[in-house]
Amino acid sequence: MDNKRRDPGSFRDLCGFVFYRDEVLYRQINQSYQNDYDFLVGSGLYQKLVDAGLLVSHEEVGDALAFTSGVYKVIRPQKIPFVSYPFEWSFTQLKQAALLTLQIQKIALEYGMSLKDASAYNVQFFHGQPIFVDTLSFEKYQEGRPWVAYRQFCQHFLSPLALMCYRDVRLNQLLRIYMDGIPLALTQRLLPMRTWLNIHIVMHLHFHSRMQLSSSAKPVDRTRNSFTRLSLCGLLDSLETAIQRLYWDPSGTEWAGYYEVTNYTQDAISHKKELVASFLDRLNPRMVWDLGANTGFFSRVASDRGILTVSIDSDSAAVENNFREACRKNERNILPLTLDLINPSSGLGWASEERVSLVERGPADVAMALAIIHHLAISNNVPLFRIAEFFNKLCHFLIIEFIPKHDSQIKKFFSLREDIFQDYSVESFEKAFGQFFVTQDKQKIKDSVRILYLMRNKNNFNEKTNRVCEY
Amino acid sequence: MIKVRQVAMFCLLSFMFSLLFPGRSYAYIDPGTGSYLWQLVIAGLLAASFSLKIFWRRIKAFLENYFNKRRKNGQ
Repeated sequence: MDNKRRDPGSFRDLCGFVFYRDEVLYRQINQSYQNDYDFLVGSGLYQKLVDAGLLVSHEEVGDALAFTSGVYKVIRPQKIPFVSYPFEWSFTQLKQAALLTLQIQKIALEYGMSLKDASAYNVQFFHGQPIFVDTLSFEKYQEGRPWVAYRQFCQHFLSPLALMCYRDVRLNQLLRIYMDGIPLALTQRLLPMRTWLNIHIVMHLHFHSRMQLSSSAKPVDRTRNSFTRLSLCGLLDSLETAIQRLYWDPSGTEWAGYYEVTNYTQDAISHKKELVASFLDRLNPRMVWDLGANTGFFSRVASDRGILTVSIDSDSAAVENNFREACRKNERNILPLTLDLINPSSGLGWASEERVSLVERGPADVAMALAIIHHLAISNNVPLFRIAEFFNKLCHFLIIEFIPKHDSQIKKFFSLREDIFQDYSVESFEKAFGQFFVTQDKQKIKDSVRILYLMRNKNNFNEKTNRVCEY
Repeated sequence: MIKVRQVAMFCLLSFMFSLLFPGRSYAYIDPGTGSYLWQLVIAGLLAASFSLKIFWRRIKAFLENYFNKRRKNGQ
């Protein structure tokens, strides 16, 4: 039976859509996009962008593989191994995605084309860099018309970045609620008075927002050709200047200075690193999720081995520092993301299916849960059984560190609180996780009371087998 | 020089803003139309500002080149 399904998030563009056949990703290009697609390829724009690493490459395959009728061509795009969303990106990741969009629009203009949408969901991270993934976003440029993607650019990129810079870095989470970017009217109300000193913010957020609110439904004469190419270049230049000038200093959050205050000795850290490395060498995974990664110290044990590592933490500063380090060192295998395990990304958008949850993007070959179990079980009161049940959905293999109650960090916690956690012990931990995992190795960390486990998931994920581990 | 330009642009924008906006807003909001119209309002400003920027860059590049050559010839 033909195993095909349409991507539930790909339906707004009538020019084409994305679908899966036997879990391989394809894009159907409809006949309505024929002229623009041929121009994209024929003008050389496609090749220019692919050669510069700015746009995903694709292969044309036979239209016998088409999902519906009305097809012009079917293409198989280059695979992005892990999909992430703008509300999971750090400040610099979102800023780089914004600058990429503008860069592509400027190059497209040189070839006589223009982007018809500027959604942040058109960008993914691949080998440590942002890359544009929507090949059907290009249309032939018509001089005289304003940029149709301007509103979307301001809502998806300029709004959240300005809010993160001028108010609070956590305001990017508004992107979880507003699927088409943060409404300008809301951004305008939240920005402080000093943003009125920034001419670009005034133009593209404050006045832009007021113009939106004041406009009625009366028809606009769209045949006026007063928006010249020079005006468009000026618009793109102004937006680029606005984005470039936004900055954020990643310090002062709860976990920013974590590695300066931990209770590990040098020997303990070295031994823990060796153990994690030896477990990874045994498993030889293709993808690792490091849960509670902070600045990615242990994530790099995996990524330095050429393993694609998704480095997840809930602290914005830690993730930002992690990404800045990855940029400085040109690291290709690490993807830092901001995600709180207590409230991980869920299904969003139309029918709650447009953007998929963290669980649905798995299972990972290996998940690492180092120095995190006590935050979940004690700080957040999640029973050990429920933690094991959740991890059971995430990975084929689990490297997990158990922190006993007599560890000095936990003792500090209980110095101010009553100890109500009677069920928190090595025995309870092994019993809870034993219902979902088989322990394959257990090692005590030198100079520490903490224990590192290597566990295999009893769940074989039959419906969605990604299994590549050799152990 | 750049600050004067920014202040001038801000004043022009405020003036245009006061002329264009009606006293009350309509219940039906069409965000697409607003963005379209706003770009038409600032079209001239963007074109002028961008032209000035390119012109100034060319002047700067010419002057840097000129003084570098003079320095090299002097040596």
